[in-house]
Amino acid sequence: MDYEKLGFKCGIEIHQQLEGKKLFCNCPTVIRKDTPDYSFTRQLRASAGESGNVDKAASYEQKKQKTFIYQGYNDTNCLVEQDEEPPRPVNQKAVETTLQVCKMLNCKIVDEIIFMRKVVVDGSNVSGFQRTALVGQDGYIEVNGRKIGIEAVCLEEEACQVIKRTEDTDIYNLSRLGIPLIEIATAPDIKNPKECQETAAKLGMFLRSTGACRRGIGSIRQDVNISIKEGYRVEVKGFQDLKSIPKISDFEVNRQVKEKEKQGPHVRKAEADFTTSFLRPMPGSGRMYPETDIPLVKIDLTNIKEIITLEKKQNKLEKDYSLNSDFASIAIKSGIDFPTLFNKYKNLEPKFIVNTILNLPKEIKKRHNVEIDILAHSEFILSSLDDNKISPSAIEEILLKLNNNEKINLDDYKAMPLEEIKNKIKEIMKENPDAPMGALMGKAMAAFKGKVDGKIVNEILRKLQ
Amino acid sequence: MANTGDLVKIEGKEGILMPTTDPKITIIKLESGYNIAYKNAKVELVKEKEEITKTQNQKIESNPKLKNISILHCGGTVASKIDYKTGAVSALFEPSEFLNLFPELKDIANVKSELIAQMLSENMRFGHYNIMAKAIEEQIKKGVDGIILTQGTDTLHYTSAALSFMIENSPIPILILGSQRSSDRGSSDAAMNIVSAISFATQTDFKGVGVCMHADTNDEDCLIMQGTKVKKMHTSRRDAFRPINTKAIARINYKTKEITYLNEYNKEKNNLNITFFKENLKIGILKSRPNLFAEELEVYNNFDGLIIEGTGLGHISIRKVDDLTSENEIIKNKLEELTKKIPVVMTSQCTYGRIDMNVYSEGRTNIEMGILGNELDMTTETAFIKLAWLLSNDLDVKTNLNKNLRGEISERIENVFLN
Repeated sequence: MDYEKLGFKCGIEIHQQLEGKKLFCNCPTVIRKDTPDYSFTRQLRASAGESGNVDKAASYEQKKQKTFIYQGYNDTNCLVEQDEEPPRPVNQKAVETTLQVCKMLNCKIVDEIIFMRKVVVDGSNVSGFQRTALVGQDGYIEVNGRKIGIEAVCLEEEACQVIKRTEDTDIYNLSRLGIPLIEIATAPDIKNPKECQETAAKLGMFLRSTGACRRGIGSIRQDVNISIKEGYRVEVKGFQDLKSIPKISDFEVNRQVKEKEKQGPHVRKAEADFTTSFLRPMPGSGRMYPETDIPLVKIDLTNIKEIITLEKKQNKLEKDYSLNSDFASIAIKSGIDFPTLFNKYKNLEPKFIVNTILNLPKEIKKRHNVEIDILAHSEFILSSLDDNKISPSAIEEILLKLNNNEKINLDDYKAMPLEEIKNKIKEIMKENPDAPMGALMGKAMAAFKGKVDGKIVNEILRKLQ
Repeated sequence: MANTGDLVKIEGKEGILMPTTDPKITIIKLESGYNIAYKNAKVELVKEKEEITKTQNQKIESNPKLKNISILHCGGTVASKIDYKTGAVSALFEPSEFLNLFPELKDIANVKSELIAQMLSENMRFGHYNIMAKAIEEQIKKGVDGIILTQGTDTLHYTSAALSFMIENSPIPILILGSQRSSDRGSSDAAMNIVSAISFATQTDFKGVGVCMHADTNDEDCLIMQGTKVKKMHTSRRDAFRPINTKAIARINYKTKEITYLNEYNKEKNNLNITFFKENLKIGILKSRPNLFAEELEVYNNFDGLIIEGTGLGHISIRKVDDLTSENEIIKNKLEELTKKIPVVMTSQCTYGRIDMNVYSEGRTNIEMGILGNELDMTTETAFIKLAWLLSNDLDVKTNLNKNLRGEISERIENVFLN
């Protein structure tokens, strides 16, 4: 498809949940699926805006005249989520994280934060609105050397999770409501679906670099705004994973070309089969009015630390410890402080350390179906290896024993001194002067009875030949 | 110089200029709907604001099959809306906008609404009760079938008690209501309280003053509670208003409009008699507590009456028991002085239960000193209003305080704690 010719315009919105406490109360950010402790029912009405006009999206929802049932938990929900108490002061940690993200994205930060009420009457917010504030604007992010504009960085509250919809009643779970969300909206600078995916990936990486994000399914969501020449802007919501972005975008462009978009700006849902379906009209600016229960939030940038992105951390790891990008990437993602381990166990290869801590437990799980708490034993294992007290080939057996609380006699796993290995190999070579490399290897390994790493044997054999 | 509502430009951003209370902060509303704040900004005028032409309200024909209900607005959250110019929720409300906001009312009753006062309820004075009573009198004389009075919830239970005493033998239901969430928001309780009150008024044979508010946190039922026996018991919940020492009169379902009566209520028709408050009357409320000082009682020398919100069964510190409590003797002397000059009435800060000053000797001393209110179970608010009303109408306090005039005193208290 010739995206340039089609006049393809695309921007994305990323919503990332933050970990810790909720944005306007002290409930924990725990999303639950267990049996709720209580439930209550509410009705919502669309209220007329400034000029007596009810917002389009809001009135669309109200026509459905639904009853909403909310299910909550005594220990993780409070009156704020029930809309029975005004919001508590804004979560300062969430504000700080948002300011850090604004700085990473080169945004101009507002002088004071004003929380707004964005009218939502589909029941997903008990109050009938979502609290949201614009924190930064006019920034940019570099993707493959191209600058993609950042229109806005907002801090807002997460909505309830829908449990069940019927014709006249929607049931919602209260536990997700109020979790802080950072929303990043790019300008429509994205030139094609592939760039869209890359931009989303980079923004996600920036967000994770703050260390303040929730993890797991649903903790980050992408919406994509797509339009083509002479068409209307269509927002596609609910991308399950980044990889589906190009495909769904392709399908959506095709749909827009075919249907010659007549519906006006609206919101669509990304389906599992990569198509999209009509969700609701695009909400207008009329649905925003100030949240008068929350005073303007003063901004203090003096304590906002600059974030080193995961990307930068990974590059540094690759350079400083000559790790390949795969190993550096999993090392960074794990959150484990590998540079400290690398510096502590200088006789061990960084790659070997990463492999032992991150990959070996997975292999053991596959081979023996045993969960190993590697971090509990890593110091013992790594220091023994570093001091050449044990052979690397013995790690697996030692870990299995440690896991069973068995005593370890280090002498059983003693690493053979290098000279001794060399001499033994020389001996074998002498005894079998005509044997090919493979046969020698087999004989040597049998002689060492697993106490010497195959790699070392192989290396010595090559050198001696 | 740009004015509020003008399209302006600040640091390259266009938006509508919003007013602020802080002169150093400039706020504009962006196209996206977000408001942003600038410190010491240079404001450039782009376009002056266009006057918004008010939408003409449709005239609604009255339906002869439906009952006539009058709504009297006295301000508060229930009669508030967003002022997009100031961005604040304000108690500004054209009564004619009312039906636009609650269109379903036209199928329930012929509703006429009128603005008679405009304030958050903490600002109310006795004079406002007189304005309300006069407006109610006018409506009753017009022959309406029911009256709904809306006001802020903070002092709503004072108003319901005041109107209960002022309007004797009302021939129609007079229901007072408010809302705990402002009516500009989707989740407001205003619509349900108003619709339920009007539905109740059109169906009931109850005559008198009641309060209509949420029965619980659900948008399902409202309670109709007797005006003299109700109190705001929560700062923010929808079901903040609870009947005290009694059951509610009735429960009405918001959707089905079905009424379930829960208690006895007045159906009798007698001669309407409306009385008023003396607006310059001074009645005090003193909260009894540890470490009270006699000095606090000095204020009431020039007052017309005093309510002591006592501890427990009706106590205040009047006995010296050791070296630390000599102040209590001074309090006792001061109280004796006061009871000779003005009526002093005991209530309890427990809210629930009856005053009984016979159980402890201190209580008996209170009675001997001339403190009134023994055996009563009025809330402090109702006692305050009753005392003021008795004094306003030159009714003898000693003989009338213990008379059950408007259902304010329970003959027997059933098992209705925290209901």
